[in-house]
Amino acid sequence: MSRNEIAWKEQPKFPSTHFVDTRIYTDNQIFREEQEKIFNKCWIIGCHESELPNAFDYRTFHHPGGAQLFMIRGEDMKVRAFYNICPHRGNTLLYDPVGNAKRITCIFHAWSFSPKGECTDIPRGKEGYQERYGCKDASLREVKSEVGYGGFVWVNVDDDSCTLKEYIGDALGMMEENLSMPLEVFTYHKAIVNTNYKLWHDTNSEFYHDYMHYFNRITGMMQPGYFDRKYKGYPNGHASVGSMAIKYDAYAGSQERAVGWPGLAPGGWVLIDLFPGMTFNLRTSVLRMDTAIPLGPDKLIIEFRGLGLKSDTPEQRAERVRDHNTIWGPFGRNLHEDLLGVHGQGLAMRERSDSKWVLHGREENSTIHDEVGMRHFYAEWGKRMGRQASDPFSDNKLA
Amino acid sequence: MTPKQLIDELIYRSSLAMDSKDFTGFLDLCDPAFRYAITAYIPEIRKEITWLEHDKDGMKVLFDNLPRHNSDHSSLTRHVTVYTVEQDEAKQQAKTISALQVFKTTLDGGVTELFAVGKIYDTISMNGGNPKLLDRNVRLDTRMLGIGFHIPL
Repeated sequence: MSRNEIAWKEQPKFPSTHFVDTRIYTDNQIFREEQEKIFNKCWIIGCHESELPNAFDYRTFHHPGGAQLFMIRGEDMKVRAFYNICPHRGNTLLYDPVGNAKRITCIFHAWSFSPKGECTDIPRGKEGYQERYGCKDASLREVKSEVGYGGFVWVNVDDDSCTLKEYIGDALGMMEENLSMPLEVFTYHKAIVNTNYKLWHDTNSEFYHDYMHYFNRITGMMQPGYFDRKYKGYPNGHASVGSMAIKYDAYAGSQERAVGWPGLAPGGWVLIDLFPGMTFNLRTSVLRMDTAIPLGPDKLIIEFRGLGLKSDTPEQRAERVRDHNTIWGPFGRNLHEDLLGVHGQGLAMRERSDSKWVLHGREENSTIHDEVGMRHFYAEWGKRMGRQASDPFSDNKLA
Repeated sequence: MTPKQLIDELIYRSSLAMDSKDFTGFLDLCDPAFRYAITAYIPEIRKEITWLEHDKDGMKVLFDNLPRHNSDHSSLTRHVTVYTVEQDEAKQQAKTISALQVFKTTLDGGVTELFAVGKIYDTISMNGGNPKLLDRNVRLDTRMLGIGFHIPL
């Protein structure tokens, strides 16, 4: 029997940890709080060190908390991160997403800065400011940055944050060997999707949606060991899923894999989700890294990176590129389906659409179709937000 | 028709076939040694990328698998203009450069938006007056492709 309005809105008969109120995906006030309480407090991946191979190379980054940043490698080869804002009239300092700048000069009034963030020149400074203001007052705002865990450049805009090591804890331990050699980004693209960032991270945190992928149904789900894979939760909202072997030859047209990954069994697959929106996805010959950057409650940029080994021969690299893009490129088999899925959720959960609940209620001993990965995420989300995802506006208390 | 006219018509017919999802018709326009690629330059990482790469058999497998996948069912309309044709009579081949704009039209309401722009670099086997596509590189300027697409351009 179908449900009427009252039944539709009735709270699911699950523990409050096993469902969420869909307003957490659409409400602007909640989104602003997430920027302050989550994104501006957590370590976020800004880029990869291979994107800054030389001294003075820089890369811009739209931080999910809202700040515009750039990361730059100094003459000392250390990577530092700064606000991409001129302290004079608030102009953008670096316009291009990537480049090389020994001296960072604002195009507006030619104030200049070193790659260490020091102001090095204010044109006609003495004439205008006399002794009242000078280069010593006009440094750039530096934000905390560290390079690690596979050579990624991590940033944290909270000066009082814990260290990156404390933030990650043991969550990346399963990939320690896989990330121990120099890596290189070989592909990068972005997608803008009208959906909430958590819905993308949810998709990366549950494998029950393998039913959506013809490719996964025949190469993964039907293979021995698929249902043995287990989720493991870590402090700070991170989670991992163990390895399995993918039977690629079950999909017509798939090539035999000649290139693997150090420390990963042939056809292996390990996935680690880091709170609040980053995913390390190591599959056979390729490491894919997703970074979710929300632009609003219902608009999301996802940055996709594909990485191989810096030591790759041209032939090995070509195979990794093929492996990555036949599945995860913009014309790949699976990425389009995953993005179609969260696009559809965004459509269905628009404000006033009367969507109400999302269920995270599957319990299968933490194995692959258990929804414990999402529950683990929302436990951390609730702690940081001071709200329960199942009752974000305390409606139940008010009632 | 002149060789130039035959070449132009081949390129335009290939777009018409893809627009109408007549994949068999598209493959009929291809030489047995046909190779297809979608490529781009990615300034953010200063690298070239190949997003899709298949031979003729691979294209057939891709087309055959389409109904098994969940896909955006919007239609694509390709607007192609052949800019240059360079014929090599000794090789019995021609190289062409065409401008490409691809528009996506939704099923619900028929909203059309620009999906991608770029150029098509074709190598054509003249095949004794019955030209066939030998190599196609769809070189995209657009890299923000939204939720992507399963059907080649």
